Amino acid sequence: MARAGARAASSGPRRLARPQPSRVRARENDGRPLVVDGRMVEAVRESWLVEDRWWTDAPLRRRYWEVVTACGRDLVVFRDLVAGRWYSQR
Amino acid sequence: MRTCVRTVIVCVLLPRFELVVAAGGRRELLGSPATLAPEAGREQLIGEVSPAAEAFGVRRGMRLGEALARCTTLALVPPDPMGVADTWEAALVALEGIGAEVEPGRPGLACFDSRGLARLHGSLDGVLRAAYAALRGEAPRGARRVIPTGRRGSAPSPIARLVPRLGAGPTRFLAVAAASRARARKPEAVRGPRELAGEPVELLALREETAALPGPLARLGILTLGDLAALPRDGLADRFGRAGLLAHDLVSGRDGVLVPRRPGERLEESLELPESASGQQLERGLGMLIDRLLARRDRRARTLRAVVLSARLVEGGTWRERVVFREALADPARMRLALGGRLALLPAPAEALRLEADRFGPPHPESRALFEDGIAERRERLREAVGQARAVAGPEAALRVLPVDLESRVPERRVVLAPFEA
Repeated sequence: MARAGARAASSGPRRLARPQPSRVRARENDGRPLVVDGRMVEAVRESWLVEDRWWTDAPLRRRYWEVVTACGRDLVVFRDLVAGRWYSQR
Repeated sequence: MRTCVRTVIVCVLLPRFELVVAAGGRRELLGSPATLAPEAGREQLIGEVSPAAEAFGVRRGMRLGEALARCTTLALVPPDPMGVADTWEAALVALEGIGAEVEPGRPGLACFDSRGLARLHGSLDGVLRAAYAALRGEAPRGARRVIPTGRRGSAPSPIARLVPRLGAGPTRFLAVAAASRARARKPEAVRGPRELAGEPVELLALREETAALPGPLARLGILTLGDLAALPRDGLADRFGRAGLLAHDLVSGRDGVLVPRRPGERLEESLELPESASGQQLERGLGMLIDRLLARRDRRARTLRAVVLSARLVEGGTWRERVVFREALADPARMRLALGGRLALLPAPAEALRLEADRFGPPHPESRALFEDGIAERRERLREAVGQARAVAGPEAALRVLPVDLESRVPERRVVLAPFEA
């Protein structure tokens, strides 16, 4: 138990809801997601832009999309506007 | 057709049991004037005496000074309460091994009802033979040996050296009286109180409730049980109260029913101390014994209501103390507190310490907190559950969701997972 406790202490806090890389096919003109991880997008519920840490060397710029797929799933995906990659996030 | 089964009580009497056990292998002591010395720190009354000492007029319960004045060559044998308890327990287990429901009296005296056993062993004679063989450590009819023969490499168990006297009668008292006049390997049966009319009233001393009567009765000229039975009950009640009434019932063939003991389990922990220990060293040893006893799986989470603390003393002899807790408990700290004070009663440094569970309590203690604190209780249970989960599944088994910045627009910054610290 003492060893287990030491390991627990060394692991420290861990972030929840980390972004997971996702395969998204989007429209060329406005970046609207069409297919997310092989699932057709039925509707876009919301879209928003997050810009943070613009005063640092590692700025954060994301375009978020909350979509509903054809199978009825509600997903949140974003495109990292700095690196140009897509991620899903809950 | 109705079958009437007569009650036959069998009594097993091991004469001078405590003295023989305390003398151990020194058989020659029993042939000379010897007695059990008073226990240290207790009243200076001697215990059982050898037949040679009886010839000098030395009696059990006599003051030590008077006994030594009557017999200047009287040898004092250090009492061995620990050995007596162990040997007596072995004897009771041996009797239970033949199927008897035993009612133990003082060490060396036990009774059981033979009704169910007569069919098992063929007859009353068969029951008596089986009891004798069990006590002597013999194994009739291919049965396994019940009495332990002592530690490896040491002398055989003292019980194997004892010669049991067996008696049978319709009541407990008559069976005890029969056993007291039986000879070795020659059981005695008494059919009714009339057969005991000529026996001395000293037989009443074998029963704790009537042990004080023989002296006053003898002074009044009532010397035999027949004399006592002829007295009017009212007169006995006026003179001796409840004990007198009971004595009259006993000699008239009336007695209460047997109350057999419930065969219990033996749960004990012992510690050999490398050098004679006392004071703080002994307390640490006691703490270790408590922890070991509470950690035993066969305790099955039950609380302890009474324990027996015993020690083997460096000066020879043993010491034994039964401690009944105010309430059944399984808390080592409280047990240390209750038992620590008893160590101060040890008459000499100890070379071995033993702790034995005597009575168990319910699995959960009945005690309640002064204020019922559900939150604290729930937190404690949660802490225990987390500990168990981590023991099984590793440190990551229990984590806490910790809010960091719930209003953040970046989701991964809102909460983190942290180790659960109850």
